[in-house]
Order: sequence, then C-alpha cells, then structure tokens
Amino acid sequence: MRVVIADDETDVVAFLKSIVEEMGHIAVSYADGNILAQALMRETFDLVILDWNIPGKDGIALLKWMQSALPDHPPVIMMTNRSAKKDISDALNAGADDYITKPEDRSVVAARINAMLRRNAGAGAFDTEAVYGKYHLNRLDQNVTVNGRSITMTAKEFELADLFFRNADRTLSRNYIMETIWRTNAILATRTLDMHISRVRAKLDLQPENGFRIFTVFGYGYRLETIATSN
Amino acid sequence: MRLRLAVEWVLIGMFATSILVAALHWKGTASFDHLLYDQLTAAQRPAADGDILIVAIDDPSLLALGKWPWDRKLHARLIRKIQGKQPRAIFFDILLSERSEPQADQSLAAAMASGPAPLFIPLHFSTPGNNGHDYDTIFPVPAFVQAASGLGHVNIAFDDDGIVRRTSLCFAPDPDGKSWPHLMTLTAKADRADITGPRCAVPRLIPYSHRGSFAEISYADLLAGEVPDALIRNKFIIIGATAAGMGDNFPTPNGEGGMLSGVEIMANVLAATRRGDFIRPLSDIPTYALSLLPMWVLMIIFLRFRPQLVLTISLATLIGILAVSILLLTNRIWFPPGTALLGVLMVYPLWGWRRLQAISTFMDTELRSFDQSDDMRVWPISYSQATDIVGRQSEALAHAIDHMRDLRRFVSDTLADLPDPMFVTDPDDRVTLTNKLLDERLGVDIYGRLLTDALDLMVVAEQRPQVDRYLGQPPKKDQEFVRFVSPAQLTFVMRRSEVRSDSGDLRGHIHYLTDITALAKAEVDREEVLQLLSHDMRAPQSTIIALLDSPINADAKKRIEQNARRTMQLAQDFVEIARMGESDFGGEDVLLVDLVRESADSLWPLAHERGIRFSFHDTSDSAFVCAEPESLHRAMCNLIDNAIKFSPDNGVIRVEISHHAKAYVAVTISDQGSGIDADILPALFSRFATTRHQTGRFRGVGLGLAFVHAVITRHKGSVTAQNGENGGARFTVTLPEARDE
Repeated sequence: MRVVIADDETDVVAFLKSIVEEMGHIAVSYADGNILAQALMRETFDLVILDWNIPGKDGIALLKWMQSALPDHPPVIMMTNRSAKKDISDALNAGADDYITKPEDRSVVAARINAMLRRNAGAGAFDTEAVYGKYHLNRLDQNVTVNGRSITMTAKEFELADLFFRNADRTLSRNYIMETIWRTNAILATRTLDMHISRVRAKLDLQPENGFRIFTVFGYGYRLETIATSN
Repeated sequence: MRLRLAVEWVLIGMFATSILVAALHWKGTASFDHLLYDQLTAAQRPAADGDILIVAIDDPSLLALGKWPWDRKLHARLIRKIQGKQPRAIFFDILLSERSEPQADQSLAAAMASGPAPLFIPLHFSTPGNNGHDYDTIFPVPAFVQAASGLGHVNIAFDDDGIVRRTSLCFAPDPDGKSWPHLMTLTAKADRADITGPRCAVPRLIPYSHRGSFAEISYADLLAGEVPDALIRNKFIIIGATAAGMGDNFPTPNGEGGMLSGVEIMANVLAATRRGDFIRPLSDIPTYALSLLPMWVLMIIFLRFRPQLVLTISLATLIGILAVSILLLTNRIWFPPGTALLGVLMVYPLWGWRRLQAISTFMDTELRSFDQSDDMRVWPISYSQATDIVGRQSEALAHAIDHMRDLRRFVSDTLADLPDPMFVTDPDDRVTLTNKLLDERLGVDIYGRLLTDALDLMVVAEQRPQVDRYLGQPPKKDQEFVRFVSPAQLTFVMRRSEVRSDSGDLRGHIHYLTDITALAKAEVDREEVLQLLSHDMRAPQSTIIALLDSPINADAKKRIEQNARRTMQLAQDFVEIARMGESDFGGEDVLLVDLVRESADSLWPLAHERGIRFSFHDTSDSAFVCAEPESLHRAMCNLIDNAIKFSPDNGVIRVEISHHAKAYVAVTISDQGSGIDADILPALFSRFATTRHQTGRFRGVGLGLAFVHAVITRHKGSVTAQNGENGGARFTVTLPEARDE
C-alpha cells in the first residue's frame, strides 16, 4: 500500500513514516499543498494523511478540491492540533474519512491507519483466495485458475494480476504499480512494466469477452475495467 | 599597350641601327675584330712554301762582313754566286735609291743584269709627298732599274693597332699616272705566267705561315760558299735584312714572341700569291648588311616569341654570327663580326628594358583603374609604402590578386550559402556552378552536365515541355518564372536571368530555384478545405434542413441526428488532422501489441453487438514503437472500426502483429467484408477522397482514413490497403521499431 503524508513539520513526517513503513507499506511525503495536489493527479495512493495547516493550499481547501476534481480519490485522514467539535465536523463534512488530533499515541495512530487501509482495500483483498469473474486467485500458492485450468505465472506477474483485480476499476499510476510490486523507488525501465502487463494480459486473456479489459491511461497508468456482459 | 610597344620597337631598331652604322664607319669594334681574326688565323696556318729561300743579312753576316752598309761589290759577288746555281727568281730587297762608289754600282748593275734568273728590285714611297701629293715615288738609281728584270712595290699596310696583316697588291696610280704592281706578283709571274694577282683595289690579308718556317740561309755563309747548290737551284731567292739592328722588322699577328722581318713577310706574300689564297676582306655593302641583319631579325623575333625563348634565340644569334664569320674565313673572305655581335648584345637588354618599362607603366595604369572601380569594394585595400616603384607595383599587384581571390571566395561562399538552390550555365548551356542547397534539395549532382540532361534529372517528364518553353522564350520575357515538380515530388519555381559581360556578350545564365513545396501543399490543403466546406459539410446540413420541412417523426429525428453527427465528426477529424501538422512529434516507447489489443478492446461492444470476433496473431516478440500513444490508438481504432463496419455479422476480424522487414513492425487488419472498390483504392487515404465517393463501401467514412494516414506518416510509417484473396479488405500499417538501447 502507498501512503502519502502531507505535513511541513519534519518531526511529524518522520513519526508517521516510521509507523507506515513498520506496517510494511510505502510512505511518500509532501510539505506543500499545491505540490501534493499535482502528485494526486499524477499518481495513485491508498491513503492521504493530511495536515490541516499545510503551506500552499490548506487541508480543508485540498479536501474540497479532491471532492470535485478527483472523484476516485483515496481516503483522507486529517491530522491537526485543533480539537474543537466544530473543526472536526467541518473536516469530516469537507470529505475527510477520519480525524486524528495531535499529539496521539503511536499505537493509536497505527491502528487508525491500518483500519483505514483495510477498509479501502476492497472485499476479499486480504483473503487467501478470491474470485473475480472467471478468475480464481490463490494468494498462498500465487496461482490463478480459469475455468479450472491453472495458469502458470511468475511471482511478479501474479502480484501484478492480484493488484489489478483488487483495484479493479481504479486507475493505478505507473509509479504506484512499480513501487507496490517491485518495492523500489528506483525508476525501472519503463519497458519492464509494459512487458509484464502485456504478459499478464496475454496469459490471463484479459479481454472484454472474458469480462475484463486492461485500459491504458496514457501518461498516467493503467486501469483494469470490469465489463458488464450480457451473459 | 600594344601601340606603345610598337613605337618603342621602332625607336629601339632605329637607335641600334645608327649605333651600328657609326661603329662600322669608325671601326668601333676593330680591336675585337683584330683579336678574333688573329685567333682564327692562328688556328690554321699554311705550311711554308718550300720553293722560297731567304738569304738573310743577319747578325752573324754583319759580324763576318762588317758594319752596314756594305760595299755593293759584295752584293754583286753574291748575286753572281746565286745566279750560278740556277735559281728561279731573285728578289733583291735592299734599298738602292742612292748612288755609292761608281765602280761598285757598276759591278752590281752588271751582276744584276747577268741572269739567267730574273732579278727584281723594289721601289719605295715616301709619304707625305712633295707638292701636295699623298706620296712620292722613290725609284732606285737608274742603272739598277735598267739592270733589274722588273720593278715593283713591296708595300705593306699597318692596321690601326700597328700590326701588319695586309698588303696592297697594287698601289694606286701615282701622280704620273703609273700604277705599280706588287713585286711579289711580278716575282711569281716570272715563274708562271698564268698566275694573275688578285684584283688590287682593296688590300689583301696575308695568310702567315709560322714564324721562321721559311728556309733561310745566312748571307755570309752563302758568300763563303758554304751552301750546297741544291739548296738554291730552282728556288725563289729573297735577299734582305733580318738583323735586329737593321730596322726592317714589323709586328705581325701572332708574331710568336717577335717581329717578322720584311723579307719573311714578302716570303709569305709570295707564297700566298703562288697559292692564290689571300684573304679578301668583305666589301662594304655586304659587311653593312651582315652586321645589321642579325639585329633586325632578332627585333622581329622579339615581337613574336615569349621572353624566355628570346634569351636563347639571342645567344643562338651570337653563335650564328661567329659561325658565319668562321665559315666565310675558311672561304678566304674576312667578315669582321664585332659590329653584328654588338648589335645583338645591345638590342636584347634594350628591348628588355623598354618592354619592362612599358609593362610597368601599363600595370600602374591598370592597377590604378582597378583600384578606382569600386563597384565591388567588399574590403578596403591598404597599400604599404615601398620605396621603389617596382616594389610598390608588385605590392599593388599582390593586393589586387589577393582582392580578386577574396572576392572569388566571397562570391562562391555567398552562392553556396544562398537560401535557395541555384545553378549557373555557360553560353553552351553547360552547368558550370551549383550551390550546396541545389545538390541537397534535388538529390542529384548536375555539375558539368548539359542543361537538357540536368533538366531530365530535375523535372518530372510531364512538365518538361513547360520548362523548355520558359527557357526557350526570348530574353524579353512574358513569363517571369516556371513552376515544376521534381522527381522527388518537391515543387520548385525557377527563374532565369542572363549574365552579360561589360561589353554586352552573353556569358551565361543564372537559374534561381525556390522550393515552394510547402506552399504548394498549402494550396492543395486550401483546396481541400474549400471542398470540405462547400460540399462535404454542406451536404448533411442541407439534408437536415430538408428533413425539418417534413413532419418530425422518430425516423426523421434519427436521420437528423445522423447527419448532425456526421458533420461533427468531419469537423472534429479535420481539426485533429490540421493540429497534427502543426506540432512536433513527441513520441514515447509504446508496446505495440498492447496498444492494438486495447484499441480492439475499446471497440469490443460494437463488435460484440453484431457477433464479430477478433482473432489476434502476435509474432512481434514484444516490439516497441516510438509513438504518440493517443493518436496511434485512435488511428488503430479507426482501422478496426472500419473493419467492424464492413464485416458481416458474426464475422472474424484477423489482427496480425508481426515483424516486417528489418526493424519494422507491421499490423495487418483483415475483415471478411466486401472489399474496396478498385476505383477508389489508389486515393483511399487522401484527405477528402473518401467523402467524395458518396457511394459504395466508403460512403460516410469521413476523414477516418485520412486521419490514419496522417498519423502513420507522422510516425514515419506507412499504411496500405488492398483486397484479400478471399475478398475483404486488408489494411497494413508498418511502423519503425523502437529498439531498446
């Protein structure tokens, strides 16, 4: 999972990053509201932890912008020193999914983040087996079967397929995919990703006839779309 | 320049001639000529005449017989002694103009007259003569004159340098009108009457034998009877003084360390007379002619030949003159070559100097006028101040040459960098100059070709007549330029202008070309826009207007919508195609097979509706292409959409992605439809062709295929259409593969 932390206080950022990475997720941080907004347009995140008072564009304004400009935006946890009931309700009304007042215990923050990520991961995201249309995924064996026929895949191909199925109909940025699957910030040769996706597409025969299509969003990333078929 | 040189030439000729004539007249080159003569004659001397014997009154004789003058009885004894030994002739070269003792004189006269051999005595001249005469003739005492067989002169002539080279064989008539023969002629004649002495108007040159080579015996010895008879018999006896003290010695050429005695000179004259080989000096007129001729010949040669040759010719002339002189000498004629040589030696440097002067002046004038003609003054010329005129001139010339070189360079550079292609032809219509751009644009090298050959390479065959017509029109032209298309499908406008020299001669033509390909394309584009607006877009609109007049039922509504959408699609496609032409290509690596698959995916609903299936065949091995993904995606969509549209229900559309040729990937999309009409196949992808064919398969396709063509062209690929073997259309897109570096 990929978490973006928007705060200009380096101590807070370090604190949150350590929590996220301890849980085995990826943490990215921004100290400016405008830059964050641009990143949100270009890339995919699973959770935004947003400071109320961030330079550039403050938390509430960002929330409102995300509501209107990014209908598919990730969940947001607002973090602030404010604890007034009015502030909390304002934030939640503006579109925040949770609210944490600083300072808060490490374990509490970790629990809140974990809960939010799980809630958003989709049904069956963490089960050992999942069924998406014709496709049966066994996460323990890293194995996919279609109509009872087992399909041989490499670990990375399986992870990629799994990522797409779990995030069906959600557009994933190339960076998101690469960091999630390859766990690296290093820029992979862009062709590596293209070729993996091509292989997954070919092996699983992901095409409208089989209820799915992989759709390239040029300049951004990919989306696995489910096709409503008549039969 | 020419006139000036001609004047100089005449002046030099006249000047040299007058100098030579003066030299001939005053014998200016006599010293040289004498020297030469002496050397030449020294090389070839005649052998001494063995018939001549000199009886010398030498120093031993003086010692034996006492001091001079001797008693004439002594001479009488000697003559009798000689006569007794039967000589051929006797020449008694002793002055007898005064009387001595009568008894002695009588005795001598008697001896002289005794015979048998003839005996000759000399007469003398004293110069200047009395009473205003040039000379007086001094005769011997009459008794001796009567006793002698003949009387003659023994004159010898002294040259300017005091050397005796010649003798007057006959002396001019004396005041009494008597002309005396040379005594040696007489002597020789006495022996052989057939000997005729040479005509005697001019003194002859004596060919000398070696000094002392004539047989000589001492007077005293002879008198003492110590000489054998055989030595005297049949000889010409010359009796005279050789002793140093007696004053009868003269300088002669190549005297070999001493003077020659009068008797020995006479021996030489006698020998020459007998042989008849006197050397005759060339007479005046031929001498003048021969002296002046080489100089003038050389002058004429100067006019004709190159300066380098002239020096050689001059040297050859010098040698020639000497050769002629030697040749004449071997024929016993003496031509003093000094003056002729002088002429050659004088005229060569003279002419060289005058010509240099003339050239220098000419160059000065020309350089000045070059300097002042500032019609092409690109750089200033700076003169440094050399002190002498030649230095200044050479500098000015060097500058002028530099300037011309710079200018030529400048002109050729300028031509090479002209923004438009151009070439130059000479009056024979041969291409003599091209610039870089011409080679680049035309892709052919026409340098050195004939214009017609060049045009064959430059102009497509159909348009040759119009180009020829333009080039063929008279100078005062009605048509200012001609437009043509090159074989590489570039459109050019050509203008031609004449180049004339200052004097108006035709030097050639300059042809300027302007590449108006972009302009020509814009013209076509504008035509197409007009076509689009005037017809393609108006047609659906008028349909809508017509439909509005009828009752608007569901069917009418549907048709109105169709027509409106068609107009919209046309406008949209048109804008996109136009926009594509304006922006730069910004490609990124795209996996072609995925792009094609997604294009098919996005049209799946349309296909699915009619039960049409896609059949993919990928042998491209994950080939990437450098692409603008959105537009390539749309192009593929257009092709697939097209295939779907014309596929029968439940048909199969075969999509093949494969390597094609080297470094190319091909996408082939085949349908099972009715195929493409043959008549529109050639123009299928042109921008508005499809909309013009309002019937058949491509009715209503709009700009879809034109868009495909534009996109694929932009990707440096190609798109072709054909009908498959089993019917149905097959479109093939070929794109360059983007290799991973």
